[in-house]
Amino acid sequence: MSASGITGRLAPARTSWLEALRGDQRLIVAVLVGIVLAVLMLPPLWILLQDSVTTTDAIGNVTGWTFAHFRRLVTDRDALRSIWNTLVFAAGSTVLSLVTGGILAWLVERTNAPFKVLAYLATIISMGTPYILHVIAWLFLLGKVGPLNDAWRHLTGSTDNLFNVNSMAGMILIEGLLWSPLVFLLLGATFRAANADMEEAARMSGATVFDTLRRISMPLAMPSILALALFVFIRAIGGFEVPALVGMPGRIYVLTTDVYEATIVVPPDLGYAASFSVVMVAIVAGLLYFYGRLSKNAERYHSVTGKGYRPRPFDLGRGRWIAGGLIALNFCVVLLLPLLTLLWMSLLPFLRSFSLAALPMLTLRNYRTVLYAGDYIRLALNSLTVAAGAATAVMLITAVAGWIAARRGPGGRTLDQLATLSLVFPGICLGVAVMEVYLRVPLPIYGTLWIIAIAYVIRYMPYGMRYVYSGVLQLHRELEEAAGVAGASSMTTLRRIVAPLLTPALVAGWLFIFLIANKELAIAVLLAGPSSQVIAVAIFDAWVNGQGGELAAFGLIWTALMTVIACLFFAQMRRGSADVYGN
Amino acid sequence: MLRVAGLTKIYINRYDAQAGGVRDVSFDLPPGTFFTLLGPSGCGKTTTLRCVAGLERPDAGFIAVEDRELFDSARGVAVPMNQRGIGMVFQSYAIWPHMTVFENIAFPLRVAKERRYPREEIRKLVDEALATVGLAGYGDRPATRLSGGQQQRVALARAIVHRPQLLLLDEPLSNLDASLREEMRAELRRLQQQIGVTTIYVTHDQSEALAMSDLIAVMDHGRIVQLGEPRAIYFRPASEFVAAFIGAANLLNGTCVSAVTAGGVGPLRLGDGAEISCLFPSGGEIGRATTASIRPENIVIAPLGAGTPTAANTLRGLISASSFLGGTVRYDVRVGEYALRVTGPAETILPPGTGVQLGFPPQAVVAVG
Repeated sequence: MSASGITGRLAPARTSWLEALRGDQRLIVAVLVGIVLAVLMLPPLWILLQDSVTTTDAIGNVTGWTFAHFRRLVTDRDALRSIWNTLVFAAGSTVLSLVTGGILAWLVERTNAPFKVLAYLATIISMGTPYILHVIAWLFLLGKVGPLNDAWRHLTGSTDNLFNVNSMAGMILIEGLLWSPLVFLLLGATFRAANADMEEAARMSGATVFDTLRRISMPLAMPSILALALFVFIRAIGGFEVPALVGMPGRIYVLTTDVYEATIVVPPDLGYAASFSVVMVAIVAGLLYFYGRLSKNAERYHSVTGKGYRPRPFDLGRGRWIAGGLIALNFCVVLLLPLLTLLWMSLLPFLRSFSLAALPMLTLRNYRTVLYAGDYIRLALNSLTVAAGAATAVMLITAVAGWIAARRGPGGRTLDQLATLSLVFPGICLGVAVMEVYLRVPLPIYGTLWIIAIAYVIRYMPYGMRYVYSGVLQLHRELEEAAGVAGASSMTTLRRIVAPLLTPALVAGWLFIFLIANKELAIAVLLAGPSSQVIAVAIFDAWVNGQGGELAAFGLIWTALMTVIACLFFAQMRRGSADVYGN
Repeated sequence: MLRVAGLTKIYINRYDAQAGGVRDVSFDLPPGTFFTLLGPSGCGKTTTLRCVAGLERPDAGFIAVEDRELFDSARGVAVPMNQRGIGMVFQSYAIWPHMTVFENIAFPLRVAKERRYPREEIRKLVDEALATVGLAGYGDRPATRLSGGQQQRVALARAIVHRPQLLLLDEPLSNLDASLREEMRAELRRLQQQIGVTTIYVTHDQSEALAMSDLIAVMDHGRIVQLGEPRAIYFRPASEFVAAFIGAANLLNGTCVSAVTAGGVGPLRLGDGAEISCLFPSGGEIGRATTASIRPENIVIAPLGAGTPTAANTLRGLISASSFLGGTVRYDVRVGEYALRVTGPAETILPPGTGVQLGFPPQAVVAVG
């Protein structure tokens, strides 16, 4: 019987476990899925906590308890500086991405500015581009041989550089630009959902566009903006690409790079890495708690819109061309410039700045290497296989767990908490933890693609859960109840009614996980072995080894491929939002 | 046929501690009854229906169809909803959008546990069900390409295809527009008579309830406040609530001035001293404060001086508003401290400010508490 599944936010019915087991098949399934989730999600957290307070011998056996790692953390000046750097880095890039992405989102969604399509184009393509490619492009653009400093030296005749990219400012700039498309996407949804009547009413009362924005639109969107700011802040704390590629060469360390360094030195200082990770996990967990409360607040602000509602954009008058200019500028900075840079890099045998003199040297050699020599093809297949496998596993598990959780079935809350537990892990910490766990269990998967796949599954489980959860909430409950009354058991209902109707959400979730799994570096960087490389790690290694041209050529081909998949994803999202069944 | 006893299901709202749900609901239905649960939103009618369907688990009570116990809190019996063999039409119809009309209706047969239906029999039964609801030939349509009325018919066909002993209808007409609602009201009743299935119908629309039901239970705050045939509910409301909820009743509060036996007629002194004779279904005692209900259409309205009144009860008043409704005219009449609603004939309209006398028989005035 599914009484507890139907009472909604009301108090659950009193039922004994035994009784529930007899009546509800879902309980058996919930227990099975719960065990799978627990086996996946709990050990990494446990091992980090254990490592951070124990000493180990050379082969990793626990030899005793200690607080030395944490003591070192609070007494070591470098460690304290890393924490401070992390906060500055995360805060700075959050502000930058919110300002750029937020202004863009408002212009695109709520005004009559031209060139809107450019903003979407930039977002779609950046969905598919590995972060590390953006970072490399910016490193070149702003670096010592890059066009900025090159031009400065030519103009002034000095031998100094105008801008040192390997600085905190450089890190914040690049990370902020990385996050701005996501901010655009999420804030855009908020602005779209806002009730235009409220702004219209302000305009009718005599307010200017600017006044309306300041006194009505902004306060209404503020809860969403704050929640989003916290979200970006959390992600930036766990960011690895920019700190590793931009910060480390300039000796600017943040927590993620500290963890990375402590893990790759020989012998690895795992206790120290684990204690850093525990600090990060604690910070993130605390922030996530506030995030949950903030976003709940934000939902309350979502104003109700009636039927046949059409958002009416602001008329900016002649200002719309300035706005269009901003949109075009953003397109250039976020997308065009990095892509052109990569193109330039890929066509040259070695790195040099933009110049006419270099034109005769242009060659397709790098592309030939990528396609015929080298093991780039194998690498690509590795990446695609792992990402596809992880996405499939996540969606299969969350299809059941998310359904039970969304319908408040037996153990739904526990399943939800287990599946979203890995949100507290920054990617690099999860890498450390998964490495530690699977070094100790007697499974020969360390150094294979399997361990990367497992880490991805753990990492992306929360995303799958969100897709399924909100997908289920869009299905009218009566569609399931009708099946139950017609005589179907709950598993038959899941198979015959829920799963087919949930397909759009499952496909969208799959594509999303597939895309981000192919982007991320931080998780895989510690887990990839010589024979189990994935894209982002290989690009990282190639950059460190100075094979800039090859990696740019490969990166562009890869970006084209991923852009196709990103297009599928957005098409699916659009379709999914069009069919809300049964309401 | 269906027996429900002591059904209790209490919700505790965690936020403002308001209790909802149903308390101690009992009723007994003979086979083939069209039974309506009627009440305002939040009165517990849908909860009662969902408990019978097995969609909610009651805190206490007993539910049985024929001799088969579906739920008994005392003995720990709770038959899962998919084994109850009940047909149900949901408020949203819940037509599965990924199946054809045929597959939607065949679903209960395909998932049946107690017997396997061969392909030909499924086709036969579904076609029969389609014909019954007047949708013969619609089987191959995708379910998404149906009008509201057609969706409703498909939902009904799906509910009756496996010949359930009990049919549950959860406000099935509330999503239809007014003209279609009238049509489907008659259609539903005809179908129910034709199949002869015992039916529980949930609605907040009193005219639907009166038009369709054999038996009506009026619910308020989780309890059944009156259970009876439509005419009894309408003409002999048991409480002020029922009187006010069923039709637009006028409520007159006064004092009983002589002892009256149950079912007898006696005088009721109104607030302004006038006395009217009134029916006391459960008797009256001297000095007890009593409210009487009278229907607007039971009052005869005439301008002052239009002739000597013939009715047993007459009151004088002044029209404060009149509105032409097509077939009738609705008057608001001020009688001393009371504002009465009166339905008059459409031939002549008396303007506001007209002095009128109102006449009505004692049987039309019912003491309700």
